[in-house]
Amino acid sequence: MTVPSGEIHSVIQDALSTQKHPTVTVLSSLLAIQDRIGYLPDEAIEETASFMRTSVNDVWGVASFYKNFRFELPATHIVEVCWGPTCSLLGATKVIQKIQSLLGISGEGDTPDRRATLRYNTCLGACAQAPVVSIDHDLKGRVDSERVAAEIHDIFNDKV
Amino acid sequence: MSSKVNLTIDGVDVKADAGANILQAAIDAGLYVPYLCYYPGMKSFGACRMCVVEVEGVRGSPASCTTPVAEGMVVNTNSSDVRDLRKGVMDLLISEHPHGCLNCHRIDLCGPSDICLRHVSVTDRCVTCPKNERCELKDTVRYLEMDLDTPLTYNNRHLPQAVDDPLWEMDLNLCIVCGRCVRACDEIRGDNALTFTDRAGRSLIGTSQGTSLLESGCEFCGACIDVCPTGALVEREHKWDKAVKSVPSICPHCPVGCRMNLEVDKRDRLIRSTPDIHSQSNKGQVCFKGKFGLDFVNNKKRLRKPLVKVKGVHKETSLDEAINYTAEMLSGKTGDKFGVLASPRGTNEDNYLAQKFARVAMGTNNINVSSSLRPELFSVMGDMLGYQAGTNRIWDLESSGAILVVSSNVTEAQNVVAIPVKRAVKSGSNLVVIDQRETELTRFATIWLRPKPGSETVLIGGMIRVIIDESLDDHQMLSETCKNVDQLKNSLWNLDLIKVESITGIASSEIQSAARMLATSSTSAFLYALETLTPNARKSCVEALVNMALVTGNVGKPSTGLYPLFGGANEQGSRDVGCVPDFLPGYRSVNDFEARNSFQEIWQVDLPEKPGYSLNQLENAIRSKKITSLQIIGDSPNFTNGEIGDFINALELLDFLVVHSTFENELTRRADVVLPSATFADKEGTYTNMERRVQILNPVLGPKGDEETDWWIISQIANRMGAKGFSYTSSEEVFQEICDSVHVYKGISYDRLKNDGIQWPCLEEGDSGTPTLYEGGWGDQRPRLSPIEVLDSPDDLSGTDYPLVLAKGRVLHQDQRPAGVSLKDKRNVISRDEVVEMNSLDARNLGITEGERVEIISSSRQRLSGLVQFTGSHKGVVYTTALFGEIVTELDQSTDPDPILKLEELPLVAVRVEKTSS
Repeated sequence: MTVPSGEIHSVIQDALSTQKHPTVTVLSSLLAIQDRIGYLPDEAIEETASFMRTSVNDVWGVASFYKNFRFELPATHIVEVCWGPTCSLLGATKVIQKIQSLLGISGEGDTPDRRATLRYNTCLGACAQAPVVSIDHDLKGRVDSERVAAEIHDIFNDKV
Repeated sequence: MSSKVNLTIDGVDVKADAGANILQAAIDAGLYVPYLCYYPGMKSFGACRMCVVEVEGVRGSPASCTTPVAEGMVVNTNSSDVRDLRKGVMDLLISEHPHGCLNCHRIDLCGPSDICLRHVSVTDRCVTCPKNERCELKDTVRYLEMDLDTPLTYNNRHLPQAVDDPLWEMDLNLCIVCGRCVRACDEIRGDNALTFTDRAGRSLIGTSQGTSLLESGCEFCGACIDVCPTGALVEREHKWDKAVKSVPSICPHCPVGCRMNLEVDKRDRLIRSTPDIHSQSNKGQVCFKGKFGLDFVNNKKRLRKPLVKVKGVHKETSLDEAINYTAEMLSGKTGDKFGVLASPRGTNEDNYLAQKFARVAMGTNNINVSSSLRPELFSVMGDMLGYQAGTNRIWDLESSGAILVVSSNVTEAQNVVAIPVKRAVKSGSNLVVIDQRETELTRFATIWLRPKPGSETVLIGGMIRVIIDESLDDHQMLSETCKNVDQLKNSLWNLDLIKVESITGIASSEIQSAARMLATSSTSAFLYALETLTPNARKSCVEALVNMALVTGNVGKPSTGLYPLFGGANEQGSRDVGCVPDFLPGYRSVNDFEARNSFQEIWQVDLPEKPGYSLNQLENAIRSKKITSLQIIGDSPNFTNGEIGDFINALELLDFLVVHSTFENELTRRADVVLPSATFADKEGTYTNMERRVQILNPVLGPKGDEETDWWIISQIANRMGAKGFSYTSSEEVFQEICDSVHVYKGISYDRLKNDGIQWPCLEEGDSGTPTLYEGGWGDQRPRLSPIEVLDSPDDLSGTDYPLVLAKGRVLHQDQRPAGVSLKDKRNVISRDEVVEMNSLDARNLGITEGERVEIISSSRQRLSGLVQFTGSHKGVVYTTALFGEIVTELDQSTDPDPILKLEELPLVAVRVEKTSS
């Protein structure tokens, strides 16, 4: 979600001060901010540093360690494709090609209009349903090019 | 005493402290175990696995740096299994490090100009690494006797070199991620300017979001460079130069007196300084001044020949002629119209002879040190306690339970002192800072008090009142030891908290908590520079601080005490040897008949009785023709920065001016004779640091021109004037005379100073010095309390044209105000809008609204612009805080031969604030 730049500090401070868990750490603070606004802008690192009374560099050490933290505004929808061994054997490559041609991108990443982002995943944990894609954390099993095309179509019509 | 543990390492019986690790025990026993991530003085990290050993009865190969010693343990550090394991570990390590240089079979055979016979690419050759020939990684590889079958290919990270920042360079392609730099910055310096970035195979060192060090909170102390085992972190200046020798000496930039090893190349230039890890004064640390500010000794602009003014024009002449001329001119000018200003960078020997020359040859007490702006810091301590010196060791601050810092910018002025303070805070001690300016230590403060300018003494008095009222004082100290207790108590009745609150503008609850913090801790220390106080207010403020230390019983114990923070590197020593207008060597008053008599016997002349002029009186004395000739040794920023008035222009009125100088400057331009003066790196001598530690300087560079040590020049002038007692053949001989006449130096000699310094009083040959003054009791000299003096009308800094007072601060980093680093002339510079904090009433009077851009114009016509923010600031005071990175950029780009000397301090100044018409 987009936060107007004038409000970013207050939104982050609110996220920091209303953490649910009793043990507040750098990690919990970063997670709280990402849960609230979807990513960690520069301000998140600075605010967390002064909130936790540590240095921005220490906060960055934690933030950059975890793959789950994003430092750029995420796109509206996230499409993840599993390319683990089972999914690959059952046609994940074709699915990926289809998605890429529909989204108009090559490789991983955001579409130019930031409507959707494509990520490869080494295992989505549902090999019995291979090939698997996940759209906005919603798993779809036994997909093929046509089904994926329909799902992507829904995104662009804002049905999802 | 910690208990000892017996163990066997490689068949050698070793005794180690319980709790020590095997690696430390081995190092202490003189056994070598290779290591890369471990570093003496830092916590073990266990990352590099190079120090693996075998312990009998223990499975696997534990890292010796993380395994504690145990009774009866049997350790093998060099079995073939361990050796193989280490080689395997090293193979992995260097799979990401260019290693054509590391395991080359020609490593001992190649000369610098030989062509590389190894088939490595041009960019991987050993000569392309700045640490070539002084690389710990290479030494380790050689120790491991790696086979030559290691493939020369490696995973090159292809990362760009970081070369945009001032003073240092980083090449992450050479980094082995041992983490020493990250840990040194965090554990030792408390800065956290570096961190590990990313994870697993991609992990490296860096800063938050890869920003410049200028905005990561770096203090450019170079601690990361000193611990780096590879060529990843290096100094930019003399990056490629190879040292031919390394000489230990003392830094001339501040009174901490850091001992460092100074490296010299074959062209006899000082190319690098590395702090001495065994030194008691700095424990392996230095600051930006000691690390990057010594290049002035190599400067081509250095004066190598004497200059004599003939018909208004300087002419080069021989040293002999210049000395003859000076002696001839000065012969007719003896008496109180002459004066000598010695240099704070002068050694004890230089300055002892400077005062002896003034007193014996010229018959005047007009002798001073040009850095002696705040003599009250010392003199009050002499009056109240006995010795005119700081009472405790610098590094004892690390274990102080509470610390009070008054009006001191320690990070810039006495940098290394801030390290034990920050470490104490990190381990849970309380820090109270009294300062109008935001400085690095205010960021670490438990309580930061910002009193109205000039109300510091009242604030401290109020704190003492709280301590007495709540009965938190040291009853025994007050009832049995101190004199004048009633006088102090009576003066406190004036200072009820409501009154203190209204004078200082600080809430009484804050004053109470600060006072309780300092009084209830078993060890409290007091640091003060009083940079923001007017000269009239300083005396009473030091008195108040000494009172507080005595009342809370914090004198005469380790980790307590008073630390006056003055400016000059050897200001303490200069005062010890008598470079003071009212004291003979050893703090014996010039008014004291007996003292004069004893020196008259040694020196065989009649000594003048009238005290000389203080530094602050000097300009007026010159203007009123009470001083007509001067001898000035060394440059000082105080001549031109207005601290002692318009001194530099007053010099035009003199009949005769002799200047000893290293460079031509404003001062030499006005001089009739300029004598080329040797720098700290050219001479032998001693400095006494702020903890009374006498340390020895060694000549690092060889002679190049006619420049000479100041003591030699002075003795020659005196000899040619026919004065008695100036024939010395070496600085050691001068030091002998100092030890004979200054009783606290009696047991010190050059021989005893070879290994490390000695803290005076050192009364006899076998005396190991005195880390803590007054620890052995007070004897007849009981400490004297002093009533709190509240000035009726404190000096008002502001005037009609400049009605406000500006308190400009400087910090390493501000979390929420990025530095806005941008590239200018291929170098990073800070370019951000400053914030000007103002009282809303002041602003309203000027028609200024919040967020508006204003310009601050000071009485010395300096300008500064920023955006206004209304805060709870006192009426009449405006605040602004700059980033430390600014002065580093300035130093880096300065064309001045000795820019450290000209560093701008942060006094309070009178200003007016104007709206910027846009």
